[in-house]
Amino acid sequence: MKKTGYLHDNRYMLHDTGPYHPEMADRLTAIYNGIKDAGLLDQVTLIPAVRADLKWIETVHDTKYINRFGDTCMTGKRTFDYPDNQMCADTYETALLAVGGILDTVRRMMAGEIDNAFCAVRPPGHHAERNQAMGFCYFNNIAIAARYLQMEHGIQRVGIIDFDVHHGNGTQHIFENDPTVFYYSIHQHPSFSFPGTGREFEEGNEDGQGFTKNTPVLPGQGDDIYRKLIESDLLPTFDRFKPEVLLVSTGFDGHSDDDMSDINLSTEGYSWIMETIMKLGNQYTAGRVISILEGGYCLERLGELAANHVRILFNG
Amino acid sequence: MFVSRSMVSQVITIDKDATVFEAQEKMAVNGVRHLPIVDADNRLIGIVTDRDIRSAMPYSMLKEKGGSEEREQLAQLKVEAIMIRNPMTLSPMHTIQDALLLIQKKKVGAFPVVDDEGKLIGILSVRDLLRAFTYVLGIGQPGTLVGIEVEEKVGQLKKIVDAITEENISFGSVLVARTWEEGKRAVFPYLLTTNVAKVKRKLAGMGYALIDPMDWHIDKLP
Repeated sequence: MKKTGYLHDNRYMLHDTGPYHPEMADRLTAIYNGIKDAGLLDQVTLIPAVRADLKWIETVHDTKYINRFGDTCMTGKRTFDYPDNQMCADTYETALLAVGGILDTVRRMMAGEIDNAFCAVRPPGHHAERNQAMGFCYFNNIAIAARYLQMEHGIQRVGIIDFDVHHGNGTQHIFENDPTVFYYSIHQHPSFSFPGTGREFEEGNEDGQGFTKNTPVLPGQGDDIYRKLIESDLLPTFDRFKPEVLLVSTGFDGHSDDDMSDINLSTEGYSWIMETIMKLGNQYTAGRVISILEGGYCLERLGELAANHVRILFNG
Repeated sequence: MFVSRSMVSQVITIDKDATVFEAQEKMAVNGVRHLPIVDADNRLIGIVTDRDIRSAMPYSMLKEKGGSEEREQLAQLKVEAIMIRNPMTLSPMHTIQDALLLIQKKKVGAFPVVDDEGKLIGILSVRDLLRAFTYVLGIGQPGTLVGIEVEEKVGQLKKIVDAITEENISFGSVLVARTWEEGKRAVFPYLLTTNVAKVKRKLAGMGYALIDPMDWHIDKLP
């Protein structure tokens, strides 16, 4: 059994996206209840949020962008950059708590307090680019965590695996010239899904050429194709890259009951994906795996999916 | 939608007295496949393509770039000898639709663009047209494509656009496929949002059939 951290804080629910918005606070309640009902709450280390030091956010986002986000939030505007990004007066602070909570969780893992963790944060991050909020995302949580690992803990090679059903354009954009962070994403094909990037020929640029890999999946596909493509695309790639820590952009929106996509993953399919990631982690990163919540909008399914996810982390 | 807005104005040209090797080198260095030839007054007199150059070379030369006799002979060959004289041109006030149809009809890769006096002012290639249409499709912006089947009668598009607009969603583009089933059309709005689940339910509730993404098409092969 592993020491698994679970980053959870009611303040993550303060980011209010208004009525009828899929990225709602209830998602975290569904996740919490699922983990509790599965009897896992006693098994994990609950980690509260802390506010991020801006210096870490500045490793990924320009100061101008950070200020623009903070200022927009203060003025009481309800959207930022795109109408998708609904927000409230607490959104900026919540986004700081998301980043800070994740960095503190990473710190605990590197200090040996925990082995791995699931960070159930809001708002999500993988669509956020250096100077651009997009697709419900403001700060790119996972990208900041990668930079923190490199700068504070001397990690040289960070492997990011993104199985949210949407392509993490922001994470790709931030690391596309960088050979020290490998970005792998499997997602619904961009011609059929937001944001319209993540084609297999996007493989990084300049020094980062060959350190980005995308696996687009056609609508209607599910467990079998995911299994085949992860085995053929992800595993050999990371065998070569040999990451020292794995960061995971976890999105449950490819579930067949989630109407944000046309991908038909089952609950068991999701378990297989995470078990495979854990095997990769045991092989290369001494089990150091930090999972960070991105999407997943089917409230009826989020509980069981999150509980299975945490159980797999806990079983190592 | 005029050629003048989509063409490349900084045209790479070559002198008629240059050798074919020089032309080949110039294409490689600049990443182009067409070199217009102009006179001293910048009047277009011809164009040479990478294909013309390849056709001028014997097969053995393509295979091995040795210093053979053939190569020496070829080194004397001037662009003027192989160029297409008085090539088809576009005016800056042709539209990109004109250019699209002409490029298909004439099966060429690029058109020089000349003004009323025949002076070269630009070039428009298939690549430039693709860029223009990528832009028209709106796929450079983040969004989600939705496919809706509608009856072929007036007013359908308005209802769809109204329903989407009520959700405060912006459009990147709207495509209408004419060659759908008998009496039907397919409408493909490209919506600048990731949040399409609600609007899809709404359209279904209005009685529209959402098309299975695996059945989407915008044309039929002849």
